[in-house]
Amino acid sequence: MPSASELSPAPAPAQRLAGLFRVVVIVALAAAVLSFPSWAPNPYILSAGIVVLNYAVLSTAWNFVGGFTGYISLGHGALAGLGGYATGLLVVRAGLPSFVALAVATLLVAVFAVPVGYAALRVRGASFVIVSIALVLILLLVFQSWASFTGGSRGLVVPRPFPGLLRPEHHRVFFYLFAALLAVALLVWWLVDRSRFGLGLKAIREDEDKAESLGTPTFGYKLVVFVVSAGFTGLAGGLYALWFGDLDPVFQFSILTGAYLVLMALLGGVRQLFGPLVGALIVGIGLEYFKVEFGNTPLHLVATGLLLALVVMFMPDGVLPALGALVDRFLRPAQSSIREVTAAELRDRATTGPDAGPATDPPPTVPVGAPDGRSTEQRS
Amino acid sequence: MPSGALLFQSVILGLLLGGLYALLAAGLTLYFGIMRVVMIAHSAFLILAAYLAWWSHARLGVDPLLSMVVTVPLFFGLGVLLQRLLLARLRPVTLTMMSVLLTFAIAVLIEGLLGYAFTGTQRRIQLGYGSASLGLFGARIAVVKLIAFGLAAVALLTLYLLLKRTRFGWALRATIQHPDAARLLGIDTDRVASFGFGVGLATAAVGGTALALDTTIYPSLHWHWIGPLMAIIVVGGLGSVPGAAVAAMLLGLVQSLLQIPLGTTWAQTVFYLALFATLAFRPQGFFGGRLAQRF
Repeated sequence: MPSASELSPAPAPAQRLAGLFRVVVIVALAAAVLSFPSWAPNPYILSAGIVVLNYAVLSTAWNFVGGFTGYISLGHGALAGLGGYATGLLVVRAGLPSFVALAVATLLVAVFAVPVGYAALRVRGASFVIVSIALVLILLLVFQSWASFTGGSRGLVVPRPFPGLLRPEHHRVFFYLFAALLAVALLVWWLVDRSRFGLGLKAIREDEDKAESLGTPTFGYKLVVFVVSAGFTGLAGGLYALWFGDLDPVFQFSILTGAYLVLMALLGGVRQLFGPLVGALIVGIGLEYFKVEFGNTPLHLVATGLLLALVVMFMPDGVLPALGALVDRFLRPAQSSIREVTAAELRDRATTGPDAGPATDPPPTVPVGAPDGRSTEQRS
Repeated sequence: MPSGALLFQSVILGLLLGGLYALLAAGLTLYFGIMRVVMIAHSAFLILAAYLAWWSHARLGVDPLLSMVVTVPLFFGLGVLLQRLLLARLRPVTLTMMSVLLTFAIAVLIEGLLGYAFTGTQRRIQLGYGSASLGLFGARIAVVKLIAFGLAAVALLTLYLLLKRTRFGWALRATIQHPDAARLLGIDTDRVASFGFGVGLATAAVGGTALALDTTIYPSLHWHWIGPLMAIIVVGGLGSVPGAAVAAMLLGLVQSLLQIPLGTTWAQTVFYLALFATLAFRPQGFFGGRLAQRF
């Protein structure tokens, strides 16, 4: 949704209506999530809900890097796996209490992300993706081969943090823990989105050279946001380890997990606060359905591949922008698009009134550093 | 301290392996040079070719080498179609990133279809000359490894001659160096790019067949290859064919030598170490690689 609509001084009635609509949707979504454990028909459905929430947290965490800077990481699955294994190993080998181990593991993953980010973010795009893939493969190799420490392919059993609870109760507690983590991740993303830091990150996404020449410390920004993203990913992975209780390198360090996260974020829309969440709902439910329907056949791979290809080819902006455009057509006919606006355009709008935005009068060329420069070529 | 014979054998095997790596990485370098596309699906196509070679041998009784008569033109055509129908339609601004995802999707699709068609069972070609080996100054070299190296050498030489001696090669290199200038000179860069892509994928057909001679194959094997190949093209400098070839030979040799003290699994880490070292100290690659700085 356009961050500008809240910032502009005098929102038009239609915009206020859209804002109200957003609030209603968010409240309804939160209510649906919070009440889910009480109307979930059985523990299996509840556990599937936890899996989907876990995906939503991971995908939102991914979106700190992917959405703000445009750097696509296929390796976030490895960071989650590392968080899981670090938590599990700290509990099993060092004897730490579960949630202390979780906190330490999160810190470890964030620290680990510094050198990785340092090597990967020095170069643009392609090399970053290659490193992110390499990260998954090397961690898989290490955790599988170093069996004396990690348990290798036999797996690692993580003791449950609440041994007294019955299984359904256990699910319920973790469902709320994941929901809380999701809320925190969304809140932090929202805060970054409207900060100066976030603006710098988006400038990197649009044109890194120009951002740098305008004085944005691009490398530092990228590294910080990568570490934050890794921290959230590690936290979610660790929480998953405490909930699921059984780790296997093949599943923890799967390149497919990373791909799912990217698919979710892209499908929902990487520029949207709730994009990854919506994507996780669609893809996560789809994955669970495929698991039930096709079991262990490789058809779920075919489905994933097809879906990813379709999204990349036809919907690179995601579902939410498409829906937003639809809503706009009815609520805000004056605006032809829901693009984000530059600071210059905002100032313009503030002096000449809310309706004199660039949307009614598109500029002939893409303004310097316009956050939506890449899609104007399609729309104008 | 390992014996001299063992060292010698490792060096020979490392060079043979490096030759195969060079062939496999050449395709990746071409794609990146032509279109700034990081082709994750390259190794999946490799495994597809290996499966076709296995299938033609096990089901039709044809020598796996003969399967290339079909797979090479088939893969060339697939490459042209892939470039024309899919990659050329992505937005230029986000091409590099989106192409990664698109080719990743294709890789997963191929893996799923292979698993569906041939099941996840591990397959191996049983050849009459499969276990034969030659003695050379105390080292034993399996004949299939020599054949694989020979295939790689022939394919790379053909590629070299194609790029240096033919009009198509000139046009392709011009397109890689400066697409706009190439267009001004009347080169149909779209057509050249799609043919270049086809050539890249044709190398995967040769490489996959060479691979099938000597290894056990299964649908998810391509993930084992994607890491080393990606490391090779980064170390060699993205987009540089000679750089990739040098890096491939060197890393193959180092891997083979490290297998003596470390064993096969840990020796693989050399690729990732080289990858991280390259990016940390010399992001444009250690050999050649003019293009890498910006991508």
